[in-house]
Amino acid sequence: MKPHPYLRAYLAGVFVPTLVLPLLLTFVILRFVLQIPVPVEQALIFPMAVVPLLWGLWNLLWLWSAPRTHLPLGMHGAVLPFLLMPCGAWLATSLGVLAIGSQGVTWFQVCQVPYTLIAPMFLAAVAGYYLIWKYIVGFLNRVLGIA
Amino acid sequence: MNARNEDRLKRLLQEALPRIEGEPEPGRDLWPAVLRRLDAQPAAPPWFDWALLAGLVGFVAFFPASIPVFLYYL
Repeated sequence: MKPHPYLRAYLAGVFVPTLVLPLLLTFVILRFVLQIPVPVEQALIFPMAVVPLLWGLWNLLWLWSAPRTHLPLGMHGAVLPFLLMPCGAWLATSLGVLAIGSQGVTWFQVCQVPYTLIAPMFLAAVAGYYLIWKYIVGFLNRVLGIA
Repeated sequence: MNARNEDRLKRLLQEALPRIEGEPEPGRDLWPAVLRRLDAQPAAPPWFDWALLAGLVGFVAFFPASIPVFLYYL
């Protein structure tokens, strides 16, 4: 066993969300360059701070619990949206980025997402998380010697 | 620890541990099996994972508005 396995697990977990950050930064730059009246930067607290932290802690939790639960990493990752979605929606609502209406939710008072689309989106997120955790985070865990 | 105590400890340990019966080494050379395992290609992803990926790509293609929401949660 290599030293500091929990530190390795945390670093392997934060890898994927960290790669998305420059992409999100592009949205902010585009907003200022094109002068789009949508305050994208207000919403970035969640993907830039909370999501990487939770991914790292979630991988750390898997390393700690896997000897007892024997839960595959993909399944463990697929559970994370059940925690992230309410957290993200709550934070976005608190910051005034997301408004919850009778027909659906509205992002930035511009983009409307009907409730009928939220369930398939959630399922797609669960599928995406399953694949990312199984293949990318699993690969990183093997490279860092903790799986 | 003097020599007498050391001998006594050694004897006690030998008495406490069960004696290994038969040949202590394996009957065949295990190294080729280790090499085969190291050279083996990783298993291909199962069809279920391909189906999930196809579904995900199809969903994003039909609803491009979902891309920023997915990025928000990544």
